[in-house]
Amino acid sequence: MLLSEQDQFLSYNGEVLVFQLSKSQHVEEAGDKTMSLCVRRMAFNRDSKLFVQKSSGVFSVGANHSKIEIICCSCTTDSRTGIILPCILMKKKKQNNIKYFLLLLHSSNQFEPSFYFKLDYELKEDIRLFAGPSLLWRHANKLFYISSNTCVVQSAPVQLSSVVWTGEIVGEGAVVLGIRTACLPETEDPDGFSVSDRAIWGSEFFGYAIQTQKMLTGTCFMPHAYSRVVSSVYVCKSERLKKELRISLVAITHKNQLIWFQNGVPKGVCELPYEKPCSVKPALTSSNDLLFVVSFASGNSCVVQRRDSLQVASKWQKVKCVLVDDFISSGSEQLLLLFKDDSNTDVLSTFKITDLGEVNYASGINYTHDTPAAEGLQENGLLTVRALETRLQAGWTSVRELQQHLGLQKRVILESCRALIDLVEERTHVLPNSKEVKCRRMGQITSEFCQAICLVSLWDDVENPADSLSKETSLASKVPEHFTEELWQRVVGDSLVVGVKLTESFYLSLSDVSLSLVMDQDFSSISPIIKCQSKIIKLNKAFSALAVSSSQIEPPSKKIKLDLQSKDDLKKEFPKRSSRIQLDGAKTVTAVTSLSALLAFHRVCCVVLLHARKQNHQNDGLQQSKKITVLCGKILLSLEDISNGRYSVKMLRDNSYCTGSMEDILAVLAVSVRFSFQIVSCDFTLTPVSSWLLGEMECTPFKECQDNIFSHKAGNVHGTIFNWALKNPFEGVLTIFCRNLTVLFQCLHSLARVLPPSCSVKLLRSGSKGVLTEHLALALEKEMLTLKNSLFLKETKAENSLTWGNESGRKINNAPLASLLDTEEGVQQFRKKIQNEREESVRSMNQTMNGALYQKMTLKIAEAQLSSDMIVWRLA
Amino acid sequence: ERSCLRAWAAHSRALVGRWTAARCGGEARQVRRQQRDDFRELLLSIRGLPAALSALPLELTVLYNSLLFTVGASDSAIKEEAEGIRQGLLRVLEACGSCGVDLGTEELWHKVLQEVTVEELQAPLHRLGALQAAWWLAASRLGSVAGLFQLLSAAEDPGRAHCSERQNKLLSMIKAWQVPPEGASLPLVQSTKDLKEILCTAVAFLQGLQELEAGNFPTAISLLQEAAGGFCSKKILAQIYTCLGCCAQRMGKPQTALQHLKRALQVDFQCLPALSHVAAVYHELGETDAEMQALTLLYEALGSNSPGAASSSPYFLMQTELLVHTPLLTSLLRHHHPSEVKYLLAQRCLQDGRVADAVEHYLDFLSLLQEGLQQQIPLDGNSVVPRIPEVFLEAASALEQAGRHQDAITVCEEVISRTTDLIPRVLRVEERLEQPECPLPGAGLAGGLLSQKESLCCLSWRAAGYLHQGWAWAKLGESKEAVTQFSRCLSDLLRVQLHGSGIKWTESLQAEVEVLQKIRLLSLIGRGMQFLELGRHKEALLDFQHSLQTSPGDPAAASYLVQTLWKLNRKQEAAAQWQKFSQGSPGEDGQQQGQGRPLPLYLVSCLEQAMFPHSEPLARSIQDYLGAATQDT
Repeated sequence: MLLSEQDQFLSYNGEVLVFQLSKSQHVEEAGDKTMSLCVRRMAFNRDSKLFVQKSSGVFSVGANHSKIEIICCSCTTDSRTGIILPCILMKKKKQNNIKYFLLLLHSSNQFEPSFYFKLDYELKEDIRLFAGPSLLWRHANKLFYISSNTCVVQSAPVQLSSVVWTGEIVGEGAVVLGIRTACLPETEDPDGFSVSDRAIWGSEFFGYAIQTQKMLTGTCFMPHAYSRVVSSVYVCKSERLKKELRISLVAITHKNQLIWFQNGVPKGVCELPYEKPCSVKPALTSSNDLLFVVSFASGNSCVVQRRDSLQVASKWQKVKCVLVDDFISSGSEQLLLLFKDDSNTDVLSTFKITDLGEVNYASGINYTHDTPAAEGLQENGLLTVRALETRLQAGWTSVRELQQHLGLQKRVILESCRALIDLVEERTHVLPNSKEVKCRRMGQITSEFCQAICLVSLWDDVENPADSLSKETSLASKVPEHFTEELWQRVVGDSLVVGVKLTESFYLSLSDVSLSLVMDQDFSSISPIIKCQSKIIKLNKAFSALAVSSSQIEPPSKKIKLDLQSKDDLKKEFPKRSSRIQLDGAKTVTAVTSLSALLAFHRVCCVVLLHARKQNHQNDGLQQSKKITVLCGKILLSLEDISNGRYSVKMLRDNSYCTGSMEDILAVLAVSVRFSFQIVSCDFTLTPVSSWLLGEMECTPFKECQDNIFSHKAGNVHGTIFNWALKNPFEGVLTIFCRNLTVLFQCLHSLARVLPPSCSVKLLRSGSKGVLTEHLALALEKEMLTLKNSLFLKETKAENSLTWGNESGRKINNAPLASLLDTEEGVQQFRKKIQNEREESVRSMNQTMNGALYQKMTLKIAEAQLSSDMIVWRLA
Repeated sequence: ERSCLRAWAAHSRALVGRWTAARCGGEARQVRRQQRDDFRELLLSIRGLPAALSALPLELTVLYNSLLFTVGASDSAIKEEAEGIRQGLLRVLEACGSCGVDLGTEELWHKVLQEVTVEELQAPLHRLGALQAAWWLAASRLGSVAGLFQLLSAAEDPGRAHCSERQNKLLSMIKAWQVPPEGASLPLVQSTKDLKEILCTAVAFLQGLQELEAGNFPTAISLLQEAAGGFCSKKILAQIYTCLGCCAQRMGKPQTALQHLKRALQVDFQCLPALSHVAAVYHELGETDAEMQALTLLYEALGSNSPGAASSSPYFLMQTELLVHTPLLTSLLRHHHPSEVKYLLAQRCLQDGRVADAVEHYLDFLSLLQEGLQQQIPLDGNSVVPRIPEVFLEAASALEQAGRHQDAITVCEEVISRTTDLIPRVLRVEERLEQPECPLPGAGLAGGLLSQKESLCCLSWRAAGYLHQGWAWAKLGESKEAVTQFSRCLSDLLRVQLHGSGIKWTESLQAEVEVLQKIRLLSLIGRGMQFLELGRHKEALLDFQHSLQTSPGDPAAASYLVQTLWKLNRKQEAAAQWQKFSQGSPGEDGQQQGQGRPLPLYLVSCLEQAMFPHSEPLARSIQDYLGAATQDT
C-alpha cells in the first residue's frame, strides 16, 4: 500500500500503528464513495531487520459528499479502565457544519467511537488529546475542552495566546500550561534589576487545572520571561514537597534553544542546530541517558543528550516523524526515525532505529555493531583525541625538562672530571665563568622632596623668656645681614603656617634648622612660647617636562662592558648626586601651629625665631657646632584679616595646571601628613598610577613645581598633594601629602583597585630608599672616621712617638723586601724588623690613656653609631 | 517572584567574584577555561530570550566579560572576527526595533552608535567598542579602529575629535576617549580603563612597527617610544625596546641602538633576541671583542633557558601580547637556536683570525650536530648557518690554521665521502637550463636527481675538501700525498663541462662557477708548489702556466711561474714574464678584487697559503739580472 501525506504514525507497546484513510474498494459505484480508516500494526523483526505487519483493522467512516480528515492521534488513558489506548481525532466536514469525533483503538483492532461534537469553525490551534480521553483546543484566544465523561464542550475562563503543554500534574490532575499577556500589578517599581520579567517582556505563564478549574502560578514551571519564546514544553517530573510543587521540564524556544528547568530555574541551555523547533519528547535509552528528541518544522530532527551539560548528540534531515518506544524489545527505548522518501515505496521502508549507543538498525544497510558512531560520539572522540594530545604534549615537555636536567648533570660531571684530571696532573683548575648576568640598574635621577621634621624643643628657662631672648639675639650678630629672603604666613584649615625663606648660602652653613614662635605681648598668665611643629621643605623647581627626546642625538661612543663591573661608573656618579642635593632651590623653614588657640587673643603679634647649628666647615663638621638663634621678624595676626581671607591659600585650576603661589604650596605641604610608598610591580609597567592620579584623582601639576600634583577631586580628598617619582618603568615612589589618615586610606583604597595585584606597595618610613641609603653610607663613613680620629687622638697623646700612620707607610716598603731575602745580610735585616714589630705591638697593647679623653671618645663613637643605627632602622 | 534579570545579574556577579578571588592563584589556566564556559552559558541563556532594553546593559556586560575570557583562555593571539560582538549589536538593534543583519560589522557599529540613544546603553556599548577595537587591532585593521573611535568620541563630545594632531590622530583619539565609569552592579573582569591603556600601547607599538617597515624611522622611533611609556608587561616592554634598538640601528645610530637594547635586557633578560641584535650592532661597529662576549652570553643564556619564564601573567585577560603580531615583529624577535649561535661564534672567530677559539667552537658545533641537533636548525632560509658541508670545510680550515693538519684531513675526508655519491660523472652546465630550483635540498635527493646548482655545490665542496687535504699534507711535509690530493681535486673539477659564454647564467650558477675556478687556481698553485718542492720543475711550470690560464694575472701564480722559470734557468723568459706581470698587475688586481664576490670563508685560508712568499728576493734577483742585461747590451 502506498503512503500519503495524510497518514499518521503512532507507537504503541513497541509496535508502530499506521493510520490511513482510504476509499473503500468494496463498493465501486461512482457516486457512492465510502471512506474507511485502516490501521496496520507493524512490528520490527530482529532477524529480517524489517518491519512486518502483524495485524490490521478497518473502520468505516463512510460519508457521502463529506470530506474526512485525520486531525491527530495519540495514546491516552481511558478513564473507564485506566488502560492507555491509542486514540484518533477525525474531522468530517459537511457544508457549514463540521463534526469532530474521537475513536479509541482496542487491541483487537476494533475502533470504538468515544465522543463527537459539532462546531461552526475549524480546529486549528493547539489541539491536544489527553487523559479521559479528552480534547482541548484554542480558538480566538480562548480555551475549550471536552472529555468523554461529559461530552460537552466547555470553555475555561482565561484569555490566552497559546498552549505549550497539557498533561498530568501530581495532585492537580490534567493541567494546561498556557501563555497570556501579562497582567501587571500596579505597584511595579522599575528600578535596576528588580524589574519583573513580566514588566520587561510583557507576557506570562499560567497553569490551569481542568478538573478543579483552578489557576496555578506559572513560575513553578518557568520564569515568566520565557513566555515570550517557549513554543513547546515537556514536563518530565512533577512532585509535591511540603505542598510545594516541584517540576522538572524541558522547553524549546523560538530562539532555537532547548532549556532544562528545575523548580522554575533554568539549569541548562543547548543551542539547537535547526530553525523553528516544534515539539520535544524524551527517550530513555539503554545507556541510561535521558535524550530529548526535537522535531523541527522543516522536517529535521535532532537529539539532545543530557550528561554534564546539554549537548546535541545527533541530527537528521528529511525526517517524516520520530517515534520513541522499545521497538526491538530490549527493555529500553529507542528512536524510530521515519524518513521522507520520494520514491513512495511501502510503509516503513526507509527507517532507522537507534538509541545512539549500541542499537543501530537502518533500512537498506548491512548491520554491524561497530557502525560508525553518531556525530555526537564522533565529537566525543575528537575531544578525547585532543585531551590525549595535550597529555602527550605535557609528557613531552617534562621529557624535555628531564633532558635539560640531564644535560646540566652531564656538564657538572664533565667539569668535575676536568677538575680531577687537573688535580692529578697538578695543574691549577680554572673554573668556567660564572653564568650569572649582572644587570646594573640605571641610576635614575629622582627629584623629590627632602623634608626633615623636627620638633622644636621647648627651652628650659621658660621663667625668664625676655632674658633668654636678649641673650640669644645677641648671638645673632655673627649672622650675615640678609639671611632671610621672605617671611610669610598662611592659614590652612585650623593651622597657622609661618614660613621663612632663607638665602641659599646661609642655609648651607646651617644644620638642624627649626623655627619657633614667641608672643610679643605680655600675658602674664600664659607662657609666651607657642607650641609649634617645624619643617624644612625643599621644593625642586626644575621643570621635569623639559625632556629632550634622546633619539635625535646619537650619544658618543662609550665603552659598555657587558659584565658591567667597572668601578669608574660608581665613582663618577656619586659626587654628581650629592651636588644635586645642594642645588635644590631656595630653602624655606616652616612652623605650623594651631590657629584657634592664638585667635583667642583676637590680635596677636609673634616673634619668629630661627634656631640652628652653625656648621664649622674647617673641622669637617666633626667638631661640636655652635647653636645659634636668630630673629627673623614679626608676624601680626588678627581675626579681621583671617575673616577677610587675607592669609588663606588659593589653589586654582588653570587649564591643565594648578596655580598657586609658592607660599601656598609650602603652607599646604607643611600642614599635611606625609607618607611615601615604594611601589614595585613585577611584571607590568606602572603607568596605571599616573593615569589614576590624572584621571580618578583629578590631579593637575603645580605650575611652579610640576613634580607635585594637586587633587581637585571633590570631597575629602580635595587638596591632597601627590608626588609620583618613577625610578624605572617597574618601580616608583608615591608620596602623599594628605590632611589626615582618613584621606590617606581613601587614596590607598582607590589606588589598590587600579594597581595590578602583583604590585607590592611598601611604606617608606621617611625619605626614599635611595636617599636613605646615601645617608646610611655617609653615617657609616662618619662612624669610621670618628673611630679612626679617636685612634689618632690617642696616638698623639700617648708617649710613644711611633704613629700608626708611619707604620702603614713602612708596610708598603715591605713588598720589595722579599728580594732581600736572597742574601744573608738581607735576612738579618728582616729579622731585626720583625723583632721591632713584635716589641712594638706588645707595647701598643699596654698603652694607657687619659680617662676623660676615653670618655669623650666613647661618647662620640656611640653618637655616630646611634645615628647610623637610626638610619638602618628607618631603612628597614 | 523569580526574575530572570535578577538571577542573571546575581550569576554574573558571582562569576566575576569567583574570578577576582581565583585570578592570583596557581591554576589560572583551568579557572579561565571554566569561567569562559560559564560566561558563555550565561550569555546563551540571556540570548535565549528576546532582547529587552532593560536587560541589555547586563547582557552587553556579560558579553564583554565572556569575550575577555575567550581571549584569556586561549592564550594565543586573537585571530578570528568577534562574532559575539556582532550578535550583541544585533540584539541592541532588535531591542530598539531596528534591524541590521545584512550590514557589515563597521556599518553595524555606525548604525548602533548613531541610532541608539538610550542612556543606560551608552556605557556598555562603549566598553564593547573597546573590545571591538582590540579585535580589529589584532587584525591590524587600524582604519576600522580609527573609525570606531571617531564614532565613540563623537557620541560624547563632538568638538573634541577634531583638535587632534595630524601625525598621530588615532592615538590621541583613543587617549581622548572617555572611559565609561564602572558600576558596582555590573562588575567587569578587566576594567575598560586597563583595556584603554592596553589599546594605546598596542596602537603605538603597531604603528611604530608599520613605520619601521615603511622606512620612516624617526616616526617609528617616536611611536615606539610612546609605546614604551605605556602600560604593558615586562615582556612587551623588552620587545618594544628591542624594536627601538633595531630602528636606531637602521638609522645608523649604533650607540643609541645599544642603549635601547641594553634597556630591553634590563627589563627582561629573557628577551634574548635583543642580545643577538646587540651582537649584530657590535659586528657592525667592528668591535669584535664585544660581539664575541655578547654571542657567548647569548649561547649560555640559551642553554640555561628556563621554560617557566614564558608563562604570561595570570591577572590580565586581554594583553598587548595578544594584539600585536606582525611578520616584522616575528622576524625581529626570532629566537636563535643555540647551535646557530655556536656557529656564529665559530665563524666570527675564524673571520677574525682567532684560530684556537674558532677550532673549539667549530668542534663544539660539529659535536652538536653529532648529537642529532641538525633537525633543530631552522631550514627556513633565515638561518645564519650555511650548508653543513661548508661548515665542515670551515672547520677544516680552522683546524689547518691551528696547525692540526691531521684533524683537518679527517674532517675533509668526511665531506669527500659524503658527497661522493652525489656527483655525476659529467656535469654539463648550460646556459639555457634555468629550471626552477627545488626549494629544499632534500626534495632533490629524494627524486634521485639533484638540481644543477646542487650538483655544482657538491662538486665544489668535494673539490675544496681535496684542496684542503692537499694543503694539509703539504704542511706535514708529505709532498707526494699532497700532489695526489691536488690531482684528485683537479680531476674532479674536470667533470664540469661549461657550455656557453656564461653571460646568461643565473646569478647563483655564476657564483658557483666562480668558486670552482678559484678552487682550480688554488689547487694548481698548490700542486705546482709541491712539484717545486720535489724538484720536478717542469711539471711545476706546467701547473703554474695552467693556473695563469685559469686566472690571468693572478699575482701568486705569476710569481711562481717566474720563479720556476728562473729555477729552470730560463732567465730571459722569467724576466720577460716578470716585467709583463709587474706592469699589468696593479690595475688588473684592483679590478679583480672589486669584481669578485666575497670568497667562501673556507677558501680564505687556502688563498693565504697560496701567496708567493719570496717576492722581494725574486724581484731583486730579476732586477739584478735585467740590470746586467741592459749593461751587456
